[in-house]
Formats: sequence, structure tokens, C-alpha cells
Amino acid sequence: MIHQKLIFSIKETLQNLWQFKGRNLFSLFIICLSFLIIGIFLSLSNNFQHIAKQIQKNLAIVAFLEEDISEENLNSIRIRLENSPYIEGVRYITSQQAKEKFNKKFPELNSIVNNLEINPFPPSFEAIAKKNALSYKETIDFVNDIKNMPGVDDVQFNKDWLEKIQAFSRLSKAVGFFLGGILVLASFFIISNIIKLNVLARKSEIEILRLTGATNFFIRTPFLIEGIILGFLGSVCSLLLLAIIIKLFPLYLGASLGTLTELISFRYLSLSQCLAVIIGGSLIGFSGSYSSLSRFLNI
Amino acid sequence: MVHVSVLLDFYSKSKTYIIEPSEKLILLLRKTAMIEVYNLWKQYQRPNWALSGISMKIEKGDFCFITGPSGSGKTTLLKIFYREILPTQGQILIDQRNILRIPDHKIYILRRMMGIVFQDFRLLFHKKVFDNIAIVLRILGVPKKEIRRRVFYSLRMVNLHNKMWEYPKHLSYGEQQRVAIARAVVNNPKIILADEPTGNLDTELAFEIMNLFKRINKKGTTVLICTHDRELIRHYGEKIFFLYRGKILRKEYL
Repeated sequence: MIHQKLIFSIKETLQNLWQFKGRNLFSLFIICLSFLIIGIFLSLSNNFQHIAKQIQKNLAIVAFLEEDISEENLNSIRIRLENSPYIEGVRYITSQQAKEKFNKKFPELNSIVNNLEINPFPPSFEAIAKKNALSYKETIDFVNDIKNMPGVDDVQFNKDWLEKIQAFSRLSKAVGFFLGGILVLASFFIISNIIKLNVLARKSEIEILRLTGATNFFIRTPFLIEGIILGFLGSVCSLLLLAIIIKLFPLYLGASLGTLTELISFRYLSLSQCLAVIIGGSLIGFSGSYSSLSRFLNI
Repeated sequence: MVHVSVLLDFYSKSKTYIIEPSEKLILLLRKTAMIEVYNLWKQYQRPNWALSGISMKIEKGDFCFITGPSGSGKTTLLKIFYREILPTQGQILIDQRNILRIPDHKIYILRRMMGIVFQDFRLLFHKKVFDNIAIVLRILGVPKKEIRRRVFYSLRMVNLHNKMWEYPKHLSYGEQQRVAIARAVVNNPKIILADEPTGNLDTELAFEIMNLFKRINKKGTTVLICTHDRELIRHYGEKIFFLYRGKILRKEYL
């Protein structure tokens, strides 16, 4: 019996969707747009998170040494770094190795460096910080200590970059949710109004259903399913569009941006984020139609 | 022999002014009652009363007319019977159930025992004749096969079984009203309520529709028709309530 009623409700829903396809497509478009904007910002945030993770993985402290550093100072710096609880590994890089590394990374600049009479790259220690080193305030003190050691010219620590990227990630997420939130709210009202129009268009049918003994649940169900389908399809479309954008965006940008491409490239949403978008879309469709039925249909 | 409705009238008055009737008598009276109305008042807007103190009784299997000029309260009374609106005061028992005590979300139980026919037919023009009738059974969750059987049966009763797969807009007014009647009877209701069912039809078609109601009534269904067509009442009237300005002016039992 319930099975029969459910089949009837689904048939009715599909008929309604087809009958009022124009306005239904419009609401589908709005939901899709709202979730696409959320998706784009979520994807950007994912990208920033990814970069932040990469940096965190290679969180390096580079101590540039003076050209004429004594053996004694070199050893004391090495010992200080190796014995630190925040450091995972230490590597000494000579001026020659630094130059070779540069030439390898930037072959187009080889001629400039090779034409110089002196080697501009100082020797250095590259120390990889431990994964959770960032959470220690002591790490900063440690870096300052190294800076003050005799024979050390300068110390570079990419913590600032990491913090900046994490801030960007948080910002893009917040902007995404703010803009998306406004659009989601708009799509809620649009769905609500479109269902209201559908109810109006089917007022005589609803009247007949009521007079022939249909329960409120029976009358409501096709409209609720309609809302859920619109929300579901809208969010799925937004995910598909996002996938297309992610595929096409690098082609559009081209290789001209070099390393910047990595910075502003999109990473697709995780499975849980995709599920959240789909469930969110369906819920908005459901609540939009429910609120319009409760306020307007008065059943 | 005193008619049961007269006794009931006496009972409704006696309740207020004279004596309380014995419980046995009430049970005896109610045994055959389909609709009982006690001191019913309805006001839409002050100071006019759409219904003023109506009491009436319709028995099971009755073929009843409510008549009166436009604005006399016929449709209001009918709307109260199927709980589309609530009265300002009074009590109504339908099939021994006080319909005013039924909560809003349970109204469908009351409406499932009724078949309602309107002057404007109220058909779904984007659905075929079959679907217009089948919708009543789908609401009840009747299996597909049974739906086909019962829709065909009710359409055959109104002699429209050959138009089952047509759209109502391709039918004449008389045929459309017959479809509406088929829809009203398809779930074997205990009562048929018809509000000016022949209002849009010419005399010949009106008589055809009335014959149809009569046939339905002969099978045991109580039929209550609101109309102002005196010709029809004269021809078919068995129990007639004359309404004027919200009051029952006269009752006739032929």
C-alpha cells in the first residue's frame, strides 16, 4: 500500500517537474550557481591547505654562514642544530653545491651566475624542522639563538610563509561560505517561491485531493520530493561544473604563470566535501518546499 | 406514523425546553441516521448569519434535496458537512460521529466516506478520465489491478466506459459531470453530497444526471443534493428542506 502511494508520488513529482520545466530549470540554475561558488572557494581553500601542508612537511631552517667561517664555529653550529629537539635532520651545503643547485633549478639564469668572478652563494646549513615544531614557541627562540651564533650571517625560516598561506586558506574558506551562504539563502527563497508557484498552479488538484480524502502527507510528498530533486540535481550540477572548471582553468592560464600556477590552481573537493554539498543542496530543496507548503498550503 | 426526522426535531427542541428523551429512544433514532444537525449557526461576517439555528436529520439511504434561493445557505451547509468550514455554533453527527470533534489532520477519514460533486465538476483537465477517477483510489493505496477494475465499473455505471482514455476537455458538459459522479462513487462512499450538480446543464442533461443519482441511491448510498431547480425537485424530491436566509423554512417528506 505504501509502495503504491510512493510510486504515485514519484510519478506525480516527475510529471510536475516536466510540466513546469521552465521555472524548475531556473531554480536548478540558482542552486547550481550557489553551490558552484561555495565549491570554487572550497577548492581554493583546499589548494592553500595543500601548499601549507607541503611547506609544513619541508619546514626548513636555513642558516647562511660567513665565507670565512672557522672550523670551530662551523662545528659548534652543526652540534647546536643536531642536538636540537625541534630538528629532524641537518645538511651542510657548500658554496659550490649551492651554485650547482641554483644552476639546476634555474638553467636560464646560468650564464649570469657563471659570468660572475666570485661565487655569490654562501655555504649554509639546511635543517628540516620536526612536523609539530611550529606549535612550539621555543622554535622561534631557537632560530634567534642560531642567528646570534658567531659565523652565522643570516637565518631563513619559512614559518611566516606557512602562516600567511594558512591565513589565505582560512580567508578563502570564509569568503566562500559568506558569498555561498548568501546565495544559498537566496536559493532557499527561490525554491520556496517556485514550489509556491507550483502549488498555486496545482491548487485545484490539491483541492480535489483534499476533498477526496488524501492525507496531508500524501499531498505534501510530491512537492517535498520535487524540492529534494531540485536541490540534489542543482548541487550535483555544481560539482560537475566545478570539475570542468578545474580541468579547463590551467589550460586557460597556460604555462606563463610558472610557479604561480601552483598557487592559484584548483584542487577538487574531497569526498566528504562533495557529500556535504550534495546533502546541503537536497536539504535546502527540502526545507524550501516544506516552508512554502506550511505557510502557503495551510494543510 | 411519525417520521423519524420529526421525532429528532422534537428531540433537539426538547433538549432545550421540555424533557430529555430516553437513551433508548436516541439510540433508536440514531440507528438509521446518516446526518444529524443540531441547532447549527454560522456567521462569516457580523451581523449577518449565513445559517441560523438549523436542525435536521437525514437517514441512511435517503434521497434528499436542500433547496432555496441563492445566498440561503445551501452551499455553506454542505461545506460544513464535509468540514471545509466550521460552524459558529451547533453540533453535527455524520454516521454517528461528531464531525466537529475530528482533529484537522484526521479529516480525511470523514471525507473518505463521502463523494462530493460540484457544479463546476472540478476535474483535472491535464489528466485522462481514467486518472481523474483513479486518483481517489490511489489515495487509498488500492492495488493497480483493482483500480482498473473499479474505475471501469464506475465509468460503466455512468455509461462512459468507452471514454476512459480521453481527456475531460474533449467531453461535453454532461459527460464531464458524469465523470465527476463516477469519481464520487468509485470508492463506494456512504454519502454523496452534490452542490448544484445540474447548474451548468440543460434540462435534458439535468434529468439524466438525476437519474444517475437515483440509481446510485437505490444501491443504498445516501444522496444529498443542493439545487434551486424546482422542476427537478418536483420530479425527484422525496425529502426536501427549504432554506431561506439561513433558516429551514419548511420540510417536506413525500
